[in-house]
Amino acid sequence: MEIYLPIAEQSMNVFVLLALGGVAGLLAGMFGVGGGFLATPLLIFVGIPPAVAVASQANQVVANSVSSLQVQWRRGNVDLRMGLVLLLGGILGSSAGVSLFTYLQRIGQIDFVIAVLYVVMLSAIGALMLYESLRTWLKVRRNPSAPRGKLHTHYLVHRLPLKMRFYKSKLYISALLPLGLGVAIGILSAILGVGGGFVLVPAMIYLLGMPTTVVIGTSNFQILFVAANVTFLQAATNGTVDIVLALLLILGGVIGAPIGARLAARLPGVVLRGLMAVLILAVAGQLLVELVRTPASPYSIGLREALP
Amino acid sequence: MKRLVSALLVAVCLSMPAAAQRLEPGTNGLPPSVPAMTQTPDLVMDLSQARVSITSAFQGENILLFGMFDPPGEVVVVVQGPPEREIVMRKERFLGLWLNTGRQGFDDVPAYYYIAASQPLQRLLARGIGGEILSLADRMAQVRSVGTREDMDLIRFRQGLVEVKRREGLYPAAIGQVSVQAGRLFRVELPFPSRLPEGTYDVRAYLLRDGKIVAAVSRPLPVGKVGFSARLAGWASREGPFYGIGAIALALLAGWLGGAVVRRL
Repeated sequence: MEIYLPIAEQSMNVFVLLALGGVAGLLAGMFGVGGGFLATPLLIFVGIPPAVAVASQANQVVANSVSSLQVQWRRGNVDLRMGLVLLLGGILGSSAGVSLFTYLQRIGQIDFVIAVLYVVMLSAIGALMLYESLRTWLKVRRNPSAPRGKLHTHYLVHRLPLKMRFYKSKLYISALLPLGLGVAIGILSAILGVGGGFVLVPAMIYLLGMPTTVVIGTSNFQILFVAANVTFLQAATNGTVDIVLALLLILGGVIGAPIGARLAARLPGVVLRGLMAVLILAVAGQLLVELVRTPASPYSIGLREALP
Repeated sequence: MKRLVSALLVAVCLSMPAAAQRLEPGTNGLPPSVPAMTQTPDLVMDLSQARVSITSAFQGENILLFGMFDPPGEVVVVVQGPPEREIVMRKERFLGLWLNTGRQGFDDVPAYYYIAASQPLQRLLARGIGGEILSLADRMAQVRSVGTREDMDLIRFRQGLVEVKRREGLYPAAIGQVSVQAGRLFRVELPFPSRLPEGTYDVRAYLLRDGKIVAAVSRPLPVGKVGFSARLAGWASREGPFYGIGAIALALLAGWLGGAVVRRL
């Protein structure tokens, strides 16, 4: 069944889009991170213009993060103070990111930048995850009863000014650190259409040293508002948010999430992380191939302009 | 022929009054099936649809162009989309990666171009009709380049533009076939792809006799989004910020509801 996407200006199979949303939801249900980092490249693979894919995916992230924030908020797992500092950075970063996006689009380099950023990011994350899960798997096989070591022992020594107390996270660190992190995630979010949870969550644990209990809730808080900001700015400046596309992705995600959660409960964590690492690496590899392979035609059409 | 018709007329007038009355609705007292000698144009055409409506279910469509001409002659049909400025990008390998390094703008590029003829076009055009009826290649030669660039390179960019448009189905097959039936009825399918630029398209039919255009008819064909698609796209382009807020509100609602439903299950 085909549906015409009014902003992407092309027709697309409904079930393909639902499946893409479903994959994102599956990941969200399995690992608690939004699947945006996988859904955006997949959307580009099926032929949605990158600008529309990124902007509509940001809209999908809004829906994705509000439903998990709901749960986290009720459990009191949101460090509001930390969230607000991150958010301030996120708003700055994503606003700059949308401007950068618009500029890159005008000079015709946006597709390239998106692809390169994805290849770098996905291969780094995929390789790390694969390495970690293989190591754990080998360790468990060799000595199943070995006690699990500390997850992290190194806290960065923060000598930056503007120290702030974050009671819920039990931290006394420079506000510049979460602010800077927020800016970086904001830019990433604007250009790639991702929430950024897959970068934000490890950064909050290892870089800021936040307790894991509040990490998910707080990152959800930041992601929700940053994604909303990206959606708003993309719609206002580039007009690339396709509501129909976003709704189909959201619907797919709603279906996929509980399946992911059920799978996560059934499969051992190591296997799960290994599978996800392979999936991420496959997408990165495919994007890399597209960048390196000689294209069928070196020509393409940039932004269309009506004659004055 | 003329004498025959006059004879028929006389015969009809002299026959029973009831029959004459029945014939009255026809022009000049003639039954509609008999062509009037002077009033009927040499060439008439129509489309199976007055417009191309891009609805939520749109996935491209074929529109039938049909008509009638006075033989002898050949029919050529030309359909053009609105002229646009197109920016053509060219990729080159840089440090092993392909990225856009060149760009060239063209003005007056038809958004869509389709030409069909009842006889091989080369043969028709060889008789020196050019100027008015243009093959795709001739039409593209008229496209103006923005800025300056070396001639050979400009030609490559122009070819690149045609390639991309052809891939998108906007410059369908070099030359279509107009089929002629009973020596005077003609028809041709106009193929429109799913990714169709909006605007008013120009549909033209020409009647050629001995290499000269003896008749031409044209009509506009509006292409545009209608219904839900049109409202949404219109909203997005007119009131971007409000559309953005709407999109966020919708996502919040969908996420909230979706989460609630899933937790119930």
